[in-house]
Amino acid sequence: MKKKSDKSNGGVSEEVVEQREAEQQANGKDSDAAKPYQPEAMVHLIVFKLGEESYGIRIEQVKEVTVTPSVTRMPRTPKFIKGVANIRGDIIAVMDLEQRFGIRPAAMVTTPPGTLTKDISYTLVIEAKDYSIGVVVKEVPQSLNLSVSKIDKAPSFLQDTTISENYIEGIAKVDSRLIIVLDMFKILSAEEIKALPK
Amino acid sequence: MKSREQEYKEIFIAEALEYFDALNRHISALEKQPQNDQPLAEIFRLLHNLKANAKAIGYLQISDVSHKLETAFSLIRSKELSFSEEVVTVLFDGIDLLGELIRNIDNPEYGEPDPVLLRNLDIIVDNLSDSAIELTKVQKYNTSKNLTLSDLIYIQIKKLDHMLNLVGELIIDRDRINSISRELNHDELKSVSSHLYRITEDLQYSVMDARLVSVGTLFNKFPRIARDVASAEKKEINLELVGQDIQIDRNILQIITDSLVHLVRNSVSHGIEKPDEREKKGKSRIGSIVLAARSDRDNVIITLSDDGKGIDMKQVKRAAVSRQLITEDAAKTLQDSDVLSFLFEPGFSLAKEVTEYSGRGVGLDVVKNAIDSIGGRISIDSAKNKGTVFTLQLPTSIAVKGALLFEVDEIFYAIPLMHTDQVVAMDKDELHEVGDILVTDIKGETITVVYLHELLNADEAEMRLGDKTKLKGQVQNIIVVTYNNRKLGLIVDKLYRQQDIVVKPLSKPLDNLDLYGGVTLLGTGKVCLVLDVSAITRYFINNRR
Repeated sequence: MKKKSDKSNGGVSEEVVEQREAEQQANGKDSDAAKPYQPEAMVHLIVFKLGEESYGIRIEQVKEVTVTPSVTRMPRTPKFIKGVANIRGDIIAVMDLEQRFGIRPAAMVTTPPGTLTKDISYTLVIEAKDYSIGVVVKEVPQSLNLSVSKIDKAPSFLQDTTISENYIEGIAKVDSRLIIVLDMFKILSAEEIKALPK
Repeated sequence: MKSREQEYKEIFIAEALEYFDALNRHISALEKQPQNDQPLAEIFRLLHNLKANAKAIGYLQISDVSHKLETAFSLIRSKELSFSEEVVTVLFDGIDLLGELIRNIDNPEYGEPDPVLLRNLDIIVDNLSDSAIELTKVQKYNTSKNLTLSDLIYIQIKKLDHMLNLVGELIIDRDRINSISRELNHDELKSVSSHLYRITEDLQYSVMDARLVSVGTLFNKFPRIARDVASAEKKEINLELVGQDIQIDRNILQIITDSLVHLVRNSVSHGIEKPDEREKKGKSRIGSIVLAARSDRDNVIITLSDDGKGIDMKQVKRAAVSRQLITEDAAKTLQDSDVLSFLFEPGFSLAKEVTEYSGRGVGLDVVKNAIDSIGGRISIDSAKNKGTVFTLQLPTSIAVKGALLFEVDEIFYAIPLMHTDQVVAMDKDELHEVGDILVTDIKGETITVVYLHELLNADEAEMRLGDKTKLKGQVQNIIVVTYNNRKLGLIVDKLYRQQDIVVKPLSKPLDNLDLYGGVTLLGTGKVCLVLDVSAITRYFINNRR
């Protein structure tokens, strides 16, 4: 897994696809033992890191993954709005989910002096009903195919919390990794939007 | 560009031909069902309109023939003339003649309409019961009618809106290509992009032109509105309209419609005094209201002036103090222009009693918001017993605006020129810390200034708007903006050029941030934030302590 995140050649690398196939095969083997040849419902996730944890969004909710373009800060907007960016002529708001959810950013990797290009981040363009919004992530997002059965519904504990956290669709366990699956449409729900501007 | 008369003529012809087609349709229906009143009523209406329109524009032959036909049909309706075969033939011929006249308006060689036909029409109209006079058979020389389609089309404004949006996008890309071609210094690319520049400019003006309507379409509704208010309040007024031919974007006119209705009603209701009162003051019994439009570069200026009692500054001050908009002491020294600007505060009203036409809490703030929303300006000027003048400065078109570009803390901003008053460079020593704000003297006028960087970027709790030490450098660039009769100097870090920009609205979830009127893309592809002057002014007022 670590190997993959070192690759930074934009978007979903081929290797990720290979890995996905490998995983599918592995899945196949697992289920072969139980019931022979029963294709399972699959979910395709885009997986990225926020803070120290891995998060995933269903690929249907992601319009594109791009290297973050220059973002124009907008004074007097909430902190988690990083600003606006021009993505192919569309001007969209770019959001920082770490700020939004109060996630502690990952400990800074001390970069050797001189390497300034460490700054590259990626933007997932999420398409809601009538608008798009960008979400900044630090490492190359990966693509991951897994069977629905691997996603546990979010523990009730999480769903009950005061900060309406029902945008957590569930928790996926893949190998030794834990992926928090987000429902972006719920994050971008009407109440959320209303809460934005001050 | 075509002259106005030519345009009116084309519209007349197109409409007349449409009427002609409709007349043919209805008379055919009537022939089949002579008892049916509906086609008869329609024919009546069409002929009547045609007569009136033709008369107004001076095509007397057409109005004459329409009149004769109208009379004939009125006789048919009152059953004084039977819808007999001979009569039907004459009527059909008459309608054909109308069509011929309409089609030949531009043909100087057409000459006179067939006298036999005209006589036949006269016969059926004048000699109802006397069937002795024979209707002469009209020689039909025009059997194979050439069918024509109208030169004018109706188009939904929605479609034009969409076109204008696309043009806006195109202009942004054009500017982008232009700046890339300059960077690359590629000759062929440069020549293509300069050609593209000209074409898109043409396209932009053509689309903008297609959306223009004359303000008269709105102005002409006011004599009636003013009359109704005046008669309800027993006042005598004379409303004069000036400059009905001035052209303006249809959507802008739509947006200001309610505002203008409000202002005109206000003028009659609050401005003009009762006749007796006017006489006592030595004025004519009839109050005069002038609604005028004129062009001023890229803007249309609409003024509404009355010779009524004017706005009572003392009363406004009292109301402002009682609403705690200002302290009593501060009110005493206030300039008239500042006093008048209170009238635009939400809910501010001087009306003591609610009449049918005014004082229902719909204040001038609503008018102001409407004007603000299209990037216009409104101001009031008033003198006691002399009258009041409202001035509306409106953009001709919505899409493209002249704007001033500048930079604050490495972010590009634009302010529409509509709201900028002047730009000055000033030495830091000329700015003075007065209480919690900075003021300076610009051409003899004391103007409040604010460092935009501090206003936009400092932590709200630690904002120090009156602290000169926050300024960078010695010479300060100040953009003086006007909002609601008040001037405010904005100190910016770097001042750039003046440029036409296409303002794109912010998309969700940022669409209801007041501070920004939208964004625009610069030729470099960079995003530039368009500041909303009214919101900035309000934000400044709320944050000075």
